[in-house]
Amino acid sequence: MNKIVLLVLAVFPVTVVFSQETVSSANSSPVPTVSNTTPATTADVEGLRQQVQSLTETVKALQQQVKNQQAALEKANLTGESGLPQNPEPLPLAGTERSPVPAASVSPRFPTEDISVVQSTTAPAASPAPGASASPLPGDFPTTDTSVVTSAPETISSTGAGASLTQPITIGGGKNYMNISFDGLFALAYSSARDLDHIEVGDHDPQQRGFNARNIELAFDGAVDPYFEGFANIVFKLDNDNETSVEVEEAFMQTTSLPFNLQLKGGQFFAAFGRLNPTHPHTWDFADTPLVNGLFLGPDGLRGVGAQASWTLPLPWYSQLIFASQNGRGSTGFSFRNPGDDGMFFDRITTDREVRGLQDFVWIPRFENSFNLSETQTVLAGVSGAFGSNETGANSRTQIYGADLLYKWKSARAEGGFPFVKWQTEFMYRRFEAGHGADDSFPVAETFHDWGLYSQVLWGFKKGWVVGIRGDYVHMQNSEFTDDLDRQSRSRISANLTWYPTEFSKLRLQYNHDFLEENFFLSDREVDSLFLQFEFILGAHGAHKF
Amino acid sequence: MKKTLFILFAIVTCAFSAHGKLNVVATLPDFGSFAREIGGDKVNVTVLAKPTEDPHFVDARPSFVVSMRNADVLIDGGAELELGWLPPLLQNARNPKIEIGKPGRIQASQGIRLMNVPTNVTRAAGDVHALGNPHFTVDPIIAKAIAQHIAESFSALDPANAAFYEANYKKFEETINAKLQGWGAALLPFHGQHVAAYHDSWPYFAHRFGLNIDLFLEPKPGIPPSPSHLAEVIAQMKAQHIKAIIVEPFHDRRIAEKVASATGAKVVEFSQFPGGVPGTDSYVKLIDTLVSRLAAALK
Repeated sequence: MNKIVLLVLAVFPVTVVFSQETVSSANSSPVPTVSNTTPATTADVEGLRQQVQSLTETVKALQQQVKNQQAALEKANLTGESGLPQNPEPLPLAGTERSPVPAASVSPRFPTEDISVVQSTTAPAASPAPGASASPLPGDFPTTDTSVVTSAPETISSTGAGASLTQPITIGGGKNYMNISFDGLFALAYSSARDLDHIEVGDHDPQQRGFNARNIELAFDGAVDPYFEGFANIVFKLDNDNETSVEVEEAFMQTTSLPFNLQLKGGQFFAAFGRLNPTHPHTWDFADTPLVNGLFLGPDGLRGVGAQASWTLPLPWYSQLIFASQNGRGSTGFSFRNPGDDGMFFDRITTDREVRGLQDFVWIPRFENSFNLSETQTVLAGVSGAFGSNETGANSRTQIYGADLLYKWKSARAEGGFPFVKWQTEFMYRRFEAGHGADDSFPVAETFHDWGLYSQVLWGFKKGWVVGIRGDYVHMQNSEFTDDLDRQSRSRISANLTWYPTEFSKLRLQYNHDFLEENFFLSDREVDSLFLQFEFILGAHGAHKF
Repeated sequence: MKKTLFILFAIVTCAFSAHGKLNVVATLPDFGSFAREIGGDKVNVTVLAKPTEDPHFVDARPSFVVSMRNADVLIDGGAELELGWLPPLLQNARNPKIEIGKPGRIQASQGIRLMNVPTNVTRAAGDVHALGNPHFTVDPIIAKAIAQHIAESFSALDPANAAFYEANYKKFEETINAKLQGWGAALLPFHGQHVAAYHDSWPYFAHRFGLNIDLFLEPKPGIPPSPSHLAEVIAQMKAQHIKAIIVEPFHDRRIAEKVASATGAKVVEFSQFPGGVPGTDSYVKLIDTLVSRLAAALK
């Protein structure tokens, strides 16, 4: 400590003297007064030249003096540290005159301003005393800064609220109108069953032994104008014959500036039913869809063209009401106005009719609440519903009710979001009125009460590493009249290990054990499957919601 | 039924009862600390991220939506540090007062020249921020600029207390100016020395105090240390006689300890955020702690 004090004391007077001399001599120099006002004579010029020369020499001498002092001090201070690189840079203490605090009695030795890091626009407007701030301040601080400090950040121009932050990689370096990202999700699959496409219930799940590319997506988002933001997700899927199909998974606009915490959304979008349905496969914690989601909401999830309103309630905790209406037609309205494969659904020849009235839309309400159990623990719970008609009869209706719970713990010292523990469960109950089919072609009308759930625990035990386990169960009501492959009760156990080298890539190994119950055509059997999933993301990867 | 309605009403009024004071939400604890310095008892400050967690990856907890929905002012870095979690919160908050461009939105990086702006943005270089290194508040001169920015915004939003905010800024500025002398003196003996760090969070601190914090345990920003890279770091640390390794609360200290024991260096726990290490409930105390810890390790 003594050494430090000594060094400070030794260096301080030298630098002060040095800088004072240079500044004062610069001030006394007549140079600035000559150039503009009177035309300079040769004698004047010569005189000035000499003055400048003598000044330069004085400065050089002083510089040398400082250097010598410094070297001596450094030697004294760093004995035994011979391997340390000598740093020839001048000490950062040159230029100590400029104190923005004129009132302060002692002249500060350490610079308290730095125009190289703080731009003039918001630079502290100095102090009110004009005398001090008027003193000449050009470039007193070591100019080495300019080499490090390359440019100022652009102030972000934005017209909308939501997507107003720039994204890391975007066309035109963050000043564009649209963020683009590309995501490729692939899986190498093995299964003891040859018909993997019948074992897996989701359209983005692995469909065959060997390699699968079931979710290659292009995503766009951005502010539309001061009132709306837009989002689109175009998915390319390769089928088992490597033919490409394209689906407009989502394409919607939503408001950004409605009052009373309201938000409206319109277009093609995933229904806000439960936790998993509104999310994209690349955010899933498992390589495939839970049974209950695939069999009740459909292989592609419940989504469609429609409109949605949501309202966050003015309560001290997070509480949101969401209400949507969609056409619910086709396979993305699976339990609703779905004509089914080859015009059959649950063994009935389906009607494929136009909308008769409001009862033919799917109405999807959701209510969700979230609480913080502690600084590190969060719970999010919701109830959802989906109500509409189906195509198995003239007036057949479907109701699906859901409840979901998410618990998450994340360490207060989390790095990269790890470690964490996440427990997620969804339960669904479906009441399905199966009618007489088109033109009363099916002899029996019956009502199915089906239910199912999945529960999964994910443990991010180390930065980039997650281990997960999931249990699935679906109960389909037995029927003496209807025998459909999709109406088997079944269950499944899955376990996986995921490695995220960064948030833009992942490798996942998953094991599934399926229990399939016997029915009319199939004896009971168990199926083992193994998936190696791999993924990459390019471009502006959207931030994840909770 | 009447009772429930009454309770509900009571809750709703509670939620709004904080009116009169400016509701300030800060994404990170350093901004929150500045807001408290300037706003004093005229503002309510809510900080989203915890001082001990990695500011790049904070969970967008739904409760944050509630805080942001009720905010009169949002202070964020504006330099992409919160990119992974702030956008969905903003989207859900539906609060026009804190939109970019409104007086209620303070982006701390505005007017700050960011260091290490990449000329070519590629993720092959790891977690590189396109606008430059976002860990800028640990430079006290920059801290003053942010504090002034905050004071100006508070004054614009709450003109009745403008003099109060201005006076608090002046006080903060004077404190920093005076403190800088001590901090500068304490680190002066180590001018030009090289220091290692787990993550590249310290270029502004290094620049201010004439240090070279330019060797990192992470091979690239955000990429966990690999054995081969650590071997290289150890060799370089030995060659350059590096005496200190800076880690933050959320880093794996065991890795730093291993490197330290192989090189004879000391592990120094730093935090970018007030509250991240014990005894640092204000910005000035934080820099005090950083300076004294580093000086002790380098001695």
